[in-house]
Amino acid sequence: MEEPKVELDDLEVNQERLKLNTNQLKNLRVYGSLNAGMIAGILGMDGWIGIGIYVAIFLIVSACLAIKMNFRVKEYFKSSYDAYYSGIGTDMLLFLMIWVIFHNLVNIL
Amino acid sequence: MSDILIDDRIRDWVFLPIIIVMFMIQMFRGLLTKYMDNKKTTQKVTSKAQVGEMIDKNITQQSQRLARLHGLLPDHSFKMKRAHLCDNKSGILTKASEKPAKDPMQSMSMMNPAAMADMLKQNLSGIVFMAVQYQWVSYFFSGFVIGKVPFPLTQKFRSMLQRGVDVQNLDVRYISSISIYFVLLFGGLQKIQQLMFGDDNDEFVDDTQMQMQMQMMGMPTMPSFGQQNDPGKLFIAERTRLEGVKHSFELNKSQDKAIKSLKRFLIQ
Repeated sequence: MEEPKVELDDLEVNQERLKLNTNQLKNLRVYGSLNAGMIAGILGMDGWIGIGIYVAIFLIVSACLAIKMNFRVKEYFKSSYDAYYSGIGTDMLLFLMIWVIFHNLVNIL
Repeated sequence: MSDILIDDRIRDWVFLPIIIVMFMIQMFRGLLTKYMDNKKTTQKVTSKAQVGEMIDKNITQQSQRLARLHGLLPDHSFKMKRAHLCDNKSGILTKASEKPAKDPMQSMSMMNPAAMADMLKQNLSGIVFMAVQYQWVSYFFSGFVIGKVPFPLTQKFRSMLQRGVDVQNLDVRYISSISIYFVLLFGGLQKIQQLMFGDDNDEFVDDTQMQMQMQMMGMPTMPSFGQQNDPGKLFIAERTRLEGVKHSFELNKSQDKAIKSLKRFLIQ
């Protein structure tokens, strides 16, 4: 049986709530990437402008999250870097996939 | 450069079917993993060598737990536990580290029936699906252009993205159907699947990610086989780690920590 890993520094943080929060953040980022991909694909954006749209929507999602948390990041996540900026590369592949699919469906095929 | 417009029938009979079929197979794989996890029963430890391995594993777990959570114990308690493990004559770690190194072939054959079956199942459910999908796409849908990628690419990608299309001057942006397969595979049908499945079960999400990572890395159980070769060195390392631990009881610091937390809450 695997025992859960508990570090001494983490005893101040409620682990289950942090896990729920991180899961929700991951879901939120996936929705954001999907929307960004659809927007970039349907509008027929080209090359670097499309990637710019992805970064812009990512930052908008982070800003909405900040407003929802009333800017008190420490109460909900470990650090502000984690909550706002951390996952940008991992969801970029998802964005590329959705962008290619919608761009083809709407503009070319 | 004028755009090439592609026939409607390619969209109806190639593009959408590839996406839908790959998505369905991904969902099916998710359900299959869930089903296999439910059917997994605990393995009985029967042979003596396996009992010995379990004892070794428990000893290492105990010493690692002590090294990690030493702050929760008061001074005398920590010293007693450490002496029980590390004492020069009668400590468990010193006795265990004097065992001879195990013969690697023998230890691998003991673990084989249980671990190999699991490895085979995981590999089957991953690689077979990928290979079958690749064959299907490249057999039925090869030889024509299916779409266009929106960003500019260099000429080096031509062989990967335009497999089967032999027109030399065609812009690299126009891709054949096998590249849609790659885009979908790496891009993350997994993420969308996680959106649908991941809400009920957190552990399930970790399994699929770990599966993909293990397939990418090749040999998933190398670390555990490496440990079986020489347990003596492992125990000596654990012992030096335990003896080097600077112990301090967290209760002594608790007043300062409480003041810090209260300040943080009261100021906001």
